[in-house]
Amino acid sequence: MRRVIRGVAIGAASLVLIAATACHRADISRPLIFILVPSQDNPFFRSEADAAAARARALGYRVRIDAHDDDAYRQDNLIDAAIASNAAAIILDNAGADSSIAAVRRATHAGIPCFLIDREIDADGIAKAQIIADNRQGARIAAEEFARAVGRDGGNYVELLGRESDTNAQVRTQGFHSVLDSQTKLHRVAAQSANWSQSEAFAKTETMLQAHADIRGILAGNDTMALGAVAAVKSSGLKGIVITGFDGSPDAVAAIRSGSLRATALQPAVLIARLAVDEADQFLHSGHTGKPERQVIACDLVTQHNADDYGEFEKVR
Amino acid sequence: MTTLRQSTQNFGQLAQTSARTILFLLRARAFFVLIALLILFASLAPSFLTPNNLAILSKHVAISAILAIGMTFVVLTGGIDLSVGSVAGLSGMVAGYLLTQGLIINGVAHFPPVALLILITLLVCLAFGLLNGWLVAKAGVAPFIATLGTLYIARGAALLMSNGKTFPNLGGQVARGNTGFTQLGQHALLGLPLPVWIMLALFGLAWTIAVHTPLGRHIYAVGGNERAARLAGIRVPRVKIFTYVASSLCAALVGLIIASQLEAAHPATGESFELNAIAAVVLGGTSLMGGRGSIVGSLIGAFVIGVLSDGLVMLGVSEFWQMVIKGTVIVLAVAVDQLHSRLQTRLLPYLESSSQGPN
Repeated sequence: MRRVIRGVAIGAASLVLIAATACHRADISRPLIFILVPSQDNPFFRSEADAAAARARALGYRVRIDAHDDDAYRQDNLIDAAIASNAAAIILDNAGADSSIAAVRRATHAGIPCFLIDREIDADGIAKAQIIADNRQGARIAAEEFARAVGRDGGNYVELLGRESDTNAQVRTQGFHSVLDSQTKLHRVAAQSANWSQSEAFAKTETMLQAHADIRGILAGNDTMALGAVAAVKSSGLKGIVITGFDGSPDAVAAIRSGSLRATALQPAVLIARLAVDEADQFLHSGHTGKPERQVIACDLVTQHNADDYGEFEKVR
Repeated sequence: MTTLRQSTQNFGQLAQTSARTILFLLRARAFFVLIALLILFASLAPSFLTPNNLAILSKHVAISAILAIGMTFVVLTGGIDLSVGSVAGLSGMVAGYLLTQGLIINGVAHFPPVALLILITLLVCLAFGLLNGWLVAKAGVAPFIATLGTLYIARGAALLMSNGKTFPNLGGQVARGNTGFTQLGQHALLGLPLPVWIMLALFGLAWTIAVHTPLGRHIYAVGGNERAARLAGIRVPRVKIFTYVASSLCAALVGLIIASQLEAAHPATGESFELNAIAAVVLGGTSLMGGRGSIVGSLIGAFVIGVLSDGLVMLGVSEFWQMVIKGTVIVLAVAVDQLHSRLQTRLLPYLESSSQGPN
């Protein structure tokens, strides 16, 4: 019993220590910008949140970053937290086009302007700005490069879809097919969702390569899945399979440089995050952003020719 | 009178044989399901039974099978280990950290060679197993709660290691003397990928422990009746701690294998792996109440799940249907498990010595 008590005491003491180191001291007097993104373990959302935070700090704001894990309920709770902590503005990468409307409206009614990045909501006039990357155009340029790389003779290809309940997964696959379906020599022989995940894409690509021996290309809905496909193709020993991704993550750009990945459509996430913070700052000072609510920023095609021009989700040169 | 007795005796023998057959069929059900699935997919997907595909299939199965082997020990004691997925994620991240950042001692980064690196990773994960075991066996926390807690701790630790980022390029560098990590998941020996050999070796080890050692008997005894086991002089806490450590080490191996296959470590790796492992264990006929089950069953269970998911991918079935089908198979398996144990009690009289019929 005594040892148990000692163990529990040690546990409690270490918890206090962890809490103490985890808390950042913040200057309460400065206004707070609340940055809410889907996850903090995904390089894309991470870069977006970091870019927004850096810009906000540079403009003299306090910053809090949180992740809603694509869970509309959790997002609701975090919006409540933002209201309770009297935030000056919310930068939000939302958890669903329909399911986020109520949360954004509640924050707006509470007097906190919301600036949406990366994903839209299906309502106008509530958020102060909705700045997104053009997923359809990005998918089209990726698909065009894919078709070009597979070549004039065409052939069979497989597609790795994102999480099928995610709007961006649907928009991207529509964009791909608006280009590829008119190409009579390209045939999609299989399509599987790998839920944006690298290890799932790895296993599913290995299996699809077994089912279809004559695959010339793999079209992936994002870069993590594309990198899973790269690892699977490498382990199968097959050569000359064209793989393209979407997002423009640093790992994917590195793979493009090394030649194992053909291309990706880079979403200017960093630019979008900075724009949102700038517009929030503008709004807080003057009461308007000076821009239309919906703003669509074009994606860039990254290939071996221009890979050196790109850093973490932005053009650096 | 004689004829009557004789016919009763014949009936008794007949009943005994059929009761035995029924129970055998039920006990080996996962095996029959596996055979049925193999036949089904072989006839629907032409390249399903090629040696190459079977090798890849077993490589995919190895991930959940290794977790299921460790999990079986825990479940046999009546516990459960929800932390395996997170520990697998943490394991990959520890390896990724050591490979790309090195051990920083006095401001200088030292890059351990791959064998040492694997050892360090296993030790870190062993600590989680000890923590689980201590919480359950000494602090008296319910296994579900204790391992739910460590699930979050391990996932948080994995995210903290890189601040949420991925560690890429785990090939190592010749100058740092830490190349070769990718062999673990990618090397093939006699046509079979290394992860499959690891799975087979672990299976052999676990089976020997479960069937041929006192420790194995103790694990069954603790799960069957903990109080009786304690009164019989078994050191129950020690046995329980062993099972959680074994489970964590299996999880650590899985994390290492995945990181090695992808040449990248992602902190979210292993999410919901624990559910796959538990499903495999349950499919294999191990009772979640403890005391009943086998390592062989879990291996077959893992194969059932693996064959099902790979086969459905080959047939081009959508993700949504795959989930529905997988869930249905698990629910049916547990329902049949209940039927099995109920029938076993009901048929017990028929199984007793042959000359006696039921009363």
